[in-house]
Amino acid sequence: MDKTIRRILVFFLLVIGVFVVVAVDSVRNINRAVAGSDWVNHTHSVILETEALRSALYLGDGAAHTFVVTGDVADRRAGVEALSDVSEHLEIMAALTRNEPPQRDQVARIDSLVGARVAFIRGVLAARQAGNMGAVRTMLSDDAGQPALKEIERAIGRLKDDELALLTERDTASFVQAQMTRWTVWTGVVLDFLLLAGAGWLIRDDITARRAAAAALQEANSQLEAKVRERTAELASANEMLTAENMERHWANQGLEHQLHYNQLIINSINDLVMVLTKATNISRVNLAVVRVTGFEPHELINRPFSSFARLAQEGGAPVLDPIAQAMNEGRDLRDQAATIADRVGRRIPVSVALFPLRDRDKVVGGVVVIQVIRPEEKLEHQI
Amino acid sequence: MQKHILVVDDEAPIRDLLGSFLSRKGYRVTTVSSAIEAEDAVGKDVPDLVITDLQLENSDGLEMIDRLKAVLPETPMMLLTGVLFDPRVVRETLKKKVSCYVEKTAPLSRILEEVQGLVGK
Repeated sequence: MDKTIRRILVFFLLVIGVFVVVAVDSVRNINRAVAGSDWVNHTHSVILETEALRSALYLGDGAAHTFVVTGDVADRRAGVEALSDVSEHLEIMAALTRNEPPQRDQVARIDSLVGARVAFIRGVLAARQAGNMGAVRTMLSDDAGQPALKEIERAIGRLKDDELALLTERDTASFVQAQMTRWTVWTGVVLDFLLLAGAGWLIRDDITARRAAAAALQEANSQLEAKVRERTAELASANEMLTAENMERHWANQGLEHQLHYNQLIINSINDLVMVLTKATNISRVNLAVVRVTGFEPHELINRPFSSFARLAQEGGAPVLDPIAQAMNEGRDLRDQAATIADRVGRRIPVSVALFPLRDRDKVVGGVVVIQVIRPEEKLEHQI
Repeated sequence: MQKHILVVDDEAPIRDLLGSFLSRKGYRVTTVSSAIEAEDAVGKDVPDLVITDLQLENSDGLEMIDRLKAVLPETPMMLLTGVLFDPRVVRETLKKKVSCYVEKTAPLSRILEEVQGLVGK
C-alpha cells in the first residue's frame, strides 16, 4: 500500500470519527432536550395545579361567605365541593413535587396553610348550618383582612416564582444546548467537508502524479522502442551488408573455381605433353598427357629438375650448357628441340621439345614446355 | 509487381547463388540447368529477363538464345560466362546476339547493375 493511499485512508477515518462524534453528541443533546421538555411539562403542571388550588380555595372561601349571607344550601354545597377540589389539587401537587425536595417542602407548607384555611371554612359552614350566627360573626371578625389567605397567596406566589425561575433557567440551558448542538453539527459538517476536500486534493494530486508517471513511462517506452527499432534496423542493415559481402565472396570463389576448372580442362585436353617449369627449370605442373605417356603420377614429377626427365640432343657431342636453362635465362623461345624422355619403366621416348618463357611484367618467372612425341615414321623422317 | 528472371546454368552452385542473390534483391527467379528445361520454363512462365551461361550440357547458350528469341523477341538476354572473350569478339559478335555480356568473374553488384539496367528495379 503506497503512501498516498494510507493518507487517504487516514482522512476517511477522520471523517468517520468526526461523523461519529457529531452523531453521539447530537443523540445525547436530543435526549437532554426530550428530558428538558418533560421537565418543562412537569413544571407547567405544578404551576397549573397551584393556580387551580388557589382558584378552588377562593371559590370555596367565596361560597362559604355567600352561604353565610344567604343560608342557601346550594351555596353550601358549592363551598363543600370547592374544598373537595382543594384537597385533590393538594394531593396532585404533592405527587408532582415528590422527587424535588425544595418544591416538596414548599408544597408541604402550602398544604399546612391551606389545611388550616379549609378547617376555618368548614367551621364557618358548620356554624351557619347550625344557625349559630354569633359564632359565625366571631369567626369572621377574627378573619378580618383575611391574613391566612394572604399568607397562602404569598406561599403559592413563592412556589410559582421558583418554578418560573427554574423554567427560565431550563429554557436558557435548553437554548444553549440547542446552540451547542447546532455548532457541533455544523462544525462536524464543515470539518468533514474539509477532510473530504483534503482527501479529494490528495486523490487528485495522486492521480496527477500517476498520470505524469504513466506519461513518463510511456515516453521512456517509446524512446526504448525507437532505440530498439533503430538498433534493429542497424543490425538488419549490417546483416544485409554482411550477407551481400558473403555472397560476393562466394560468387568470386565460384568464378575463380570455374575459371581454374575451365583452364584445367583446356590444358588437359591437349594431346601434347605440357609442363610448367620454374625459373630454375624444376617441374611445377604437368597435364594429363604427361601422365598418360610416361606413366608417372604428377607428384612423382613435381619439383624434379626438367633435365632429369628429358635429355636434349646436342650437335657435336655432350651439351656444355642445358639449352632449356640457357633459353630460360635469355628469355627466348626454344622450338623443335630433339630430345628423349624417360618413362616410368626407364624406356627412352623420342620427342620434340619447345619452350615458351612465362613473362610477368617483362620478367621471366618460368616457362611452359610443350613436348611432342615423335612416332617411328616421324622419327625416320626426322633422321632423313 | 516483381520482375521474373530465368537463370540457366549447368553448375548448381552458380545457379543457386545467383538465384538467391536476385531473390534477395526483389526479383522472382526461376533456375534451370539446361536449354531444354529453359525452353520448357518460358512456355509456362514468361520471363522478363533470361540470364544464361555459354556452355551448357548438351547445348550452347548462344544457340539456346537464338531459339528463345524466336518465341520471346522482346525479352532481353544476358550472357553470363566464365569463358573470357576478346573485347573485339564481344563488340562484333556477342553484342549482336545478346543484350548484355558479363563475365562470371564480375562481382554480383555489377551483375545487379546490368539486371536493373535491363528490367528495372
